[in-house]
Amino acid sequence: MTLLSLDGVSRVYATRRGIIGRPVPVRAVDQISLSVAPGRTLGIVGESGCGKSTTGRVALGIERPSEGSVTFQGAAMPTPGTPAWRRMRGRLQLVPQDPLGAMDRRLTIATQVEEPLIIHAIGDKSDRRDRVQALLRDVGLRADLAERHPHELSGGQRQRAVLARALATDPALLVCDEPVSALDVSIQAQVINMLTDLQEARGIAMLFISHDLKVVRQVSHEVAVMYLGRIVEHGDPEAIFADPLHPYSRALVSAIPVPGPRRIERVVLTGDPPNPADRPSGCAFHPRCPVAVAACAVTTPDLRPAADGRLVACHLVPAAGGTA
Amino acid sequence: MSDETLPRAAAPPRRRAAVPVGVMMAMAWLALILAVALLADAIRPFGITAMDLRARLQPPIGFGGTSWAHALGTDELGRDVLSRLIESIRISLLIAFGATIIAAVFGTTMGFLAAHFRGWVEQVVLMLIDFQASMPFLILALSVLAFLGNSLPLFVCLMGLYGWERHARIARGLAIAANAQGYAAAVRHLGAGPLRIYLGHVLPNIASTLIVAATLSFPEVVLLESGLSFLGLGVQPPMTSLGNMVGYGREYITRAPWIMLCPSAVIVLTTLSVSILGDWLRDRLDPTLT
Amino acid sequence: MLRFAALRLGRALLTIALVVTFAFIVLRLSGDPAMMIMSPDAPPEALKAFREAWGLDEPLWLQYLKYFTAILQGELGQSMRDGRPAIELVAERIPATLLLTLPALALKIGLGIPAGIYAALHRNSMTDRVVMTFAVAGFTVPSFVLGLILVLIFAVQLGWLPSGGQEGWRSVILPVISMGLGGAGVLARFTRSAMLEVLGQPYIRTASAKGVPWGAVVRGHALPNAAIPTVTVVGFMVGSLMAGAVVVESVFSWPGVGRLMVVAVANRDLAVVQCVLLLVSATMVTSNLIVDLLYGVLDPRLRGQAPAAGGGH
Repeated sequence: MTLLSLDGVSRVYATRRGIIGRPVPVRAVDQISLSVAPGRTLGIVGESGCGKSTTGRVALGIERPSEGSVTFQGAAMPTPGTPAWRRMRGRLQLVPQDPLGAMDRRLTIATQVEEPLIIHAIGDKSDRRDRVQALLRDVGLRADLAERHPHELSGGQRQRAVLARALATDPALLVCDEPVSALDVSIQAQVINMLTDLQEARGIAMLFISHDLKVVRQVSHEVAVMYLGRIVEHGDPEAIFADPLHPYSRALVSAIPVPGPRRIERVVLTGDPPNPADRPSGCAFHPRCPVAVAACAVTTPDLRPAADGRLVACHLVPAAGGTA
Repeated sequence: MSDETLPRAAAPPRRRAAVPVGVMMAMAWLALILAVALLADAIRPFGITAMDLRARLQPPIGFGGTSWAHALGTDELGRDVLSRLIESIRISLLIAFGATIIAAVFGTTMGFLAAHFRGWVEQVVLMLIDFQASMPFLILALSVLAFLGNSLPLFVCLMGLYGWERHARIARGLAIAANAQGYAAAVRHLGAGPLRIYLGHVLPNIASTLIVAATLSFPEVVLLESGLSFLGLGVQPPMTSLGNMVGYGREYITRAPWIMLCPSAVIVLTTLSVSILGDWLRDRLDPTLT
Repeated sequence: MLRFAALRLGRALLTIALVVTFAFIVLRLSGDPAMMIMSPDAPPEALKAFREAWGLDEPLWLQYLKYFTAILQGELGQSMRDGRPAIELVAERIPATLLLTLPALALKIGLGIPAGIYAALHRNSMTDRVVMTFAVAGFTVPSFVLGLILVLIFAVQLGWLPSGGQEGWRSVILPVISMGLGGAGVLARFTRSAMLEVLGQPYIRTASAKGVPWGAVVRGHALPNAAIPTVTVVGFMVGSLMAGAVVVESVFSWPGVGRLMVVAVANRDLAVVQCVLLLVSATMVTSNLIVDLLYGVLDPRLRGQAPAAGGGH
């Protein structure tokens, strides 16, 4: 059973180079397919610019895919701005990276947490007040913070407030876009634990987007590694962490500091960081890949099942039951 | 007063210091003018059309005048200049306030429409903004008056077209910024409709900037109104405005200059005060505004 | 650059088209255009001929089209006062207006820009304060008040200069001062802030720190960069050469385009009003076009962006 599925989704932007230049299509997201089951978490990991945030926005329905389709609870995602789309907003919610920017700085926390209830006409005035109190309690905010303004809160408290607002309409899916990367490490752990607790208690599905493989591993039931708009490896987080198959995943995993001797040799990436407007031919990773062969620059590898059921897009990884 | 006229970019970091003397004086003058406008009927010693043919062209106290009944003298029909001045202040302020509010509401609406719909709606709004900003408003206003004749409501609406493009530009820019990321986008993603987003969230957040913009265009509207009325094409007799009084007093400039000087002084002091206040507000609230 | 110029030209033509459309709409709102353009007491056969000529019985879009082509061919109707073609009436007033507006423009530029630069270079000095006080006074005192006060002092009290009419060069002095001082104030204020903004930039500090003499820094870096925004304001002033004298011409009974406009508006002489409107917008649009192109030359970064139109300040 799937809650959300993206099917062959691409998102193409037209950017101009200079003022006179012709618009160049940039594929921020290229042919991505993934799905999230109810109550489960899919982590998406990759460098900045790899298209993971765009994937999140497409999954939320905020942006329409240029190609492919998005299905949520068995129905196609409605067009943004339509009444049907607005009604659906209560079912999918975003937890943003910058909670301060996502809140109206003139309004109190309680007012803002109440707002989705008003928008979706849930409960009467006193009922809504009770719900707001319950929500703030659920995310671990003291009741006296309800009447504060966003700038009077700490970073962790703001993130909790935004989460309370996102949870107000009891959504089936949360898209968390780098929800903890602006926080201190100690606070990160608290927020992450709270997220997993809430997920367990409420059965919410999550799309958890981060550049930090370590964080993604803590929360995810499944992980997709993205590079330049494509998924290069997809599977169980523990398996990927223990034995990354794609050279890019290998580099990511090896970059995580571990106590004691390394199980995987440190792979330092060389070459230019990826630029979606100037995509290399063949496998987009080949200019930085330590093990690239001639074929890598020519043909783009498909995402196909590898030995343990993981999906990998690399010419050098033998397909399950096949030969490389 | 040079403090208030510092350009935005080079202004030093503001201390939360006391309000400068110039600004205090400007506020005091504006308070006085507002009080006069609101209480005009109560404090006006004579009716504006009450003639006293035995007391024509009397000079004001201090310029050879003797009668405290006509502290600012009388005109050639023996009408009390002070009474007419009080009434003129009321009419001129009414027009300027009405026009500024219309411009702010209209401009903000256009800006929000452009920001919300983008695409061709935005292009049309931008074209209108360009058009408005590139045409001398006085000539457009004169043409409309010529074609449509004159009445007070039409005149106020016409003046209300002045400066709307400033509000439209600001509202569009800030709304696009808010929509792209931040609080407005967040509310939109909660499922709110456009009315809730723009009136409930964007407008309150940009209100201070819009108010500063209105303060900057208010004196320009006063000048425009008085200019048109001076030409005899604005407020029509028997109603009177500051510009009317100047235009009318100009006939008697040799024999009774006070008829013209009194309203002129009020115009200059009022526009000066609002400009000082507007510059000060801009420096304090929104130094990015031009 | 060519594309940029073409874009700007298109925009200029569009503005003119908008003005014509504006005139058409307002004319339509005002009632029977035949009566309005021809004059209410024109002979019925003339009205009929006019209606047929401009196709007033045809669908609105066709009328609009015909109206448009008529204007393109210079058919701007006749003045209802003496029946002469409006375009002739307007054309013969242009020299008188330029006689005031050109010296006034010279005064604005000659006084305003140096004063603004000086004030910026001597920021917070006594001179700066005096200049800025005058600048603020310059745009808070309306030109008709300034004009009348000048008349009161120099014509009524001192008797040095005439209070109106056309009596040689002496008649020009007071109107030019009434118009020029305010504009000089606006320009001084604008130039000063443009200069201060440029002087605060890192490249000025860099040049200065490298040991380039201050005078050379100002001449070589600050002035050219501050000139860019100032050009817009000056352009707007050039564009107002026809329109800028409406009020002052009335104060001094000067027989220029502005006075003609005021009288035409008062008499609802619509053909003349429309003609002045088109003349003014054509001047404005042309000067905006030149400013835009100058912008492209002065600052290549701005090609393709819309420079802020110089309406406000």
